[in-house]
Amino acid sequence: MSEKKRRGGAGAGAASGSASKKPRVSTAASYAESLRSKLRPDASILATLRSLASACSKSKPAGSSSSSSSASKALAAEDDPAASYIVVADQDSASVTSRINRLVLAAARSILSGRGFSFAVPSRAASNQVYLPDLDRIVLVRRESARPFANVATARKATITARVLSLVHAVLRRGIHVTKRDLFYTDVKLFGDQAQSDAVLDDVSCMLGCTRSSLHVVASEKGVVVGRLTFADDGDRIDCTRMGVGGKAIPPNIDRVSGIESDALFILLVEKDAAFMRLAEDRFYNRFPCIILTAKGQPDVATRLFLRRLKVELKLPVLALVDSDPYGLKILSVYMCGSKNMSYDSANLTTPDIKWLGVRPSDLDKYRVPEQCRLPMTDHDIKVGKELLEEDFVKQNEGWVKELETMLRTRQKAEIQALSSFGFQYLTEVYLPLKLQQQDWI
Amino acid sequence: MDDDAGDGAASGGTKRKVTAASSSAAAKGKAAGKGKAASKASALATAKESSLLKQKSPAEFFAENKNIAGFDNPGKSLYTTMRELVENALDSAESISELPDIEIIIEEITKSKFNTMIGLVDRQRIDEELYDDFESAKAREKRLAKEARFQETQAKNAALGKKVKEAPAARGKGRGEAAFFRVTCKDNGRGMPHDDIPNMLGRVLSGTKYGLRQTRGKFGLGAKMALIWSKMSTGLPIEIKSSMKGQNFISFCLLDIDIHKNVPHVHLHEKRENKDRWHGAELQVIIEGNWTTHRSKILHYMRQMAVITPYAQFLFRFLSDSPDKNLTIQFARRTDVMPPIPLQTKHHPSAVDLLLIKRLISETTKQNLLQFLQHEFVNISKSHAERLIGEMGPDFSAKTTVKSLTSQQLVRIHQLFRQAKFDDPSGNCLSPAGEYNLRLGIIKELHPDLVATHASSPQVFEGHPFIVEAGISIGGKDVKHGLNIFRYANRIPLLFEQGADVITRTALKRINWSSYKINQQQDKIGVFVSIVSTKIPFKGTGKEYIGDDITEIASAVQSALKQCCLQLKSKIVKKLQARERQDRKRNLNRYIPDVARAIMETLGEIADESPPKRPRYDKEDEELLEKVNSEEVTEMTFRDCLTQHVEQVDYEMALEYAMQSGVSEEPREALYLNSLEGSYKFIDFQSPVFVFRFIP
Repeated sequence: MSEKKRRGGAGAGAASGSASKKPRVSTAASYAESLRSKLRPDASILATLRSLASACSKSKPAGSSSSSSSASKALAAEDDPAASYIVVADQDSASVTSRINRLVLAAARSILSGRGFSFAVPSRAASNQVYLPDLDRIVLVRRESARPFANVATARKATITARVLSLVHAVLRRGIHVTKRDLFYTDVKLFGDQAQSDAVLDDVSCMLGCTRSSLHVVASEKGVVVGRLTFADDGDRIDCTRMGVGGKAIPPNIDRVSGIESDALFILLVEKDAAFMRLAEDRFYNRFPCIILTAKGQPDVATRLFLRRLKVELKLPVLALVDSDPYGLKILSVYMCGSKNMSYDSANLTTPDIKWLGVRPSDLDKYRVPEQCRLPMTDHDIKVGKELLEEDFVKQNEGWVKELETMLRTRQKAEIQALSSFGFQYLTEVYLPLKLQQQDWI
Repeated sequence: MDDDAGDGAASGGTKRKVTAASSSAAAKGKAAGKGKAASKASALATAKESSLLKQKSPAEFFAENKNIAGFDNPGKSLYTTMRELVENALDSAESISELPDIEIIIEEITKSKFNTMIGLVDRQRIDEELYDDFESAKAREKRLAKEARFQETQAKNAALGKKVKEAPAARGKGRGEAAFFRVTCKDNGRGMPHDDIPNMLGRVLSGTKYGLRQTRGKFGLGAKMALIWSKMSTGLPIEIKSSMKGQNFISFCLLDIDIHKNVPHVHLHEKRENKDRWHGAELQVIIEGNWTTHRSKILHYMRQMAVITPYAQFLFRFLSDSPDKNLTIQFARRTDVMPPIPLQTKHHPSAVDLLLIKRLISETTKQNLLQFLQHEFVNISKSHAERLIGEMGPDFSAKTTVKSLTSQQLVRIHQLFRQAKFDDPSGNCLSPAGEYNLRLGIIKELHPDLVATHASSPQVFEGHPFIVEAGISIGGKDVKHGLNIFRYANRIPLLFEQGADVITRTALKRINWSSYKINQQQDKIGVFVSIVSTKIPFKGTGKEYIGDDITEIASAVQSALKQCCLQLKSKIVKKLQARERQDRKRNLNRYIPDVARAIMETLGEIADESPPKRPRYDKEDEELLEKVNSEEVTEMTFRDCLTQHVEQVDYEMALEYAMQSGVSEEPREALYLNSLEGSYKFIDFQSPVFVFRFIP
């Protein structure tokens, strides 16, 4: 009854809208509008979501335990994980300090005995990063290379390493946090440019076997979050439903976050700031209780840590809304399997089991996105797409392979904003509800 | 022939008939008479002109098309005259296996001096406005204003410390003053037979270098073009002194050329005393030229010639009234090994045309076809000739007399020559400069840091064999940064039209210098390529460049250059290693303060912590921390220890380097062994990089 009414109303609205706004109705637009009529009432969509969330939270402990047990089994099978792969862990500042102390004391003694000094640094070269299907993430193979001072090729790196160690030591001793930029500026002349100090910082993480946040060095804020979430940031209570349209910046230092509470049914991961703003402004999280998260492009460490934390504590399903291009998929892969640069910390940074909600290559035809909103793929796009097809994490998911093949076949890409061609709010009013209703994710 | 004279006579005739004997000036009357005659018999005259078939002598043709022979303008004419004389001198000396000893003098002659030379009184200008370079009052004002403005900016720039620009050369309006030069070239060559001198120099397209062989000149044009140019620009005759070996007199000859008849016009031809048994030739010619514009080309030419002929000695002098412009350059001889005289060879069947076959037949002494084929061409053996004759058809047999062949039969032979397969001609008839000489020449003239040379094996293009020799040098004196390309064809330098040349293009586009650790922009790279052939496929009218469209030559040049680069690469890599070794200590020492500070800061902080709070360390660590507390160990201690360590490591590495590269790093000294005085009988052992002489 109510459904009938809705449908009629929606149909009339669509008809009148198309009649008044666009005398020459394009078939794509009218089709897109007709999809609106397929929507069932929010209550029924919510019911499906609720069942999904509960299924996720129930199965999750089992799933996570099974996956972690399988992971630990896999690692156990290779007798000692630390022997073959580098896995870092969060550590308190006391133990990090004592590790640094030991390294520095050893170096000092070596110098005083007239032998110069050398650091054993795990190699983070691309060839050293491998994807493990068992763990479903990229890990760093343990292979250490010496970084002696008395070699022209490594003298500079060895010096920077010593300097970074001493800086980190000072930071830890004072119990404060600094950004990577702060660290760089303490000795600009030696570091030259920030990329060098950042790279050595990652080296130091590997050497000490601790996460970068354990070093108390953080990146500046990048990601934002909004929605049905409350948590404490350094003791201050944050309610993410009252964060306006801009959202709450994700704290770069995850240790500050505590007391996470939420009544959301799922987490929505958004690639872009623009789509995030639309969702926030339309208060999408009030219609469908959810947490909306974006890292504005490639995710930084803090956002990934935060997402993992949410996933682990709240046990909610994670749905991703990314562009329909190889780059969107690449971002998804970083959330799920980790980046090569941070592979040593992949255990803490990755969130497996993210569902690809949209915009998928098949959606372009399904929603009849008009031609002028689709872009031809560049040669570079196609190259990246083909490389992705070879990646193990894509191969694991049959649906993804199909979508990627569709993309490469049609040689078309589209951004999330392509849906705006049906109206700016089409994304929040029709596309996402319909996707959720149809449980159209892979 | 004698058109003008005939015409003049004819009009003179009419004048006498039509007008009465008016005793006005001849020219004036002539003109008037001509006008009248023309109006009367215009129809007749046009008919006569169209039917008049004119003949042109070769000398006349080249006088009108001087640019073909490289006499485009006075400056280039000076350059070409000099080079033609030098090349003739080299050929002459080489033809009697004498080490060339050549003296070139270019002497500037001012206009007044020139006028007195030809007996013309120097006249002052009276009517200034008559002249092209006269400057009107307005133009003068303009120029002065411009100069003032320029000086102003100059002063401003100087005040700002900017680089001061050179004042633009004040160029006079108009054609400018013509400059005259006396070019003298003296050699120690064969000399010329007394009686042949007029014909050898006074007749265009007569020469001793015709025939199939690798020669510098080809057309018998060079020296004669100089003569034509002197006649055109100064009207002065050429002066020749010559004596042949063992002749007790010197031929002295003063001649010019009758351009219309292409015959020598001898002013003086006599025998003079030859006291010091001199042999050779000395040519002196006075021409218009331009030293300012072509000075660098001429000097480049001499330098490049010295590179490719290190066995010759050149003395180049420029003389003028202002002593600061005077110049004397000696290019010393560095070797006495000369390339062999190129042999005259027979034609390769695939390189002949119909006309050439006819000429060969008319010149041959062979009677029948078989012998003709076998002896007048290369790469046709007796059995091969028989097979060829069999293929020609039933009209031909081995016994056919060659002189009786019909023109159809000749076409058949030509066609078969085109289609049949022949072995490639051998390069034996060629006389390349030789890798040894090329190397010596490069070292002698450029003093490079590194040099590599390569000689390719003979290759063939359209029936003519060719050999490519290449050299690459790095560094040296008077060498620009980037590529310096030296091109040679049949051992003469090519200086003009560099852009389109096969050598330039190959060096610029088809060699990936960086893959041989050579920096195309920064390094001083000398690229030397010499191509010798019985026929150099020059492009364009002047013999100035070889086209880039001949794949055989292009790939031969490329591979020769690549070979040189490969040789250089290992040497360059070694050098880089040596440099790295030198820099090592400096690079390492630079970081010592940073390390010492970093370590010391942390140690200080560790030591500061009170022992109960601090975790326990090993005994040695504790000792160290105590030393830090008692300031027994300070930042300076770390610095000293690291400096010592670097010192030690550097020493070890240096030792290792010396072990690898051998003890060859002693300071080197250029060494040159002078050739022995006196004459010996040698036995030469030749190798691409050296010649070993054995005196039995």
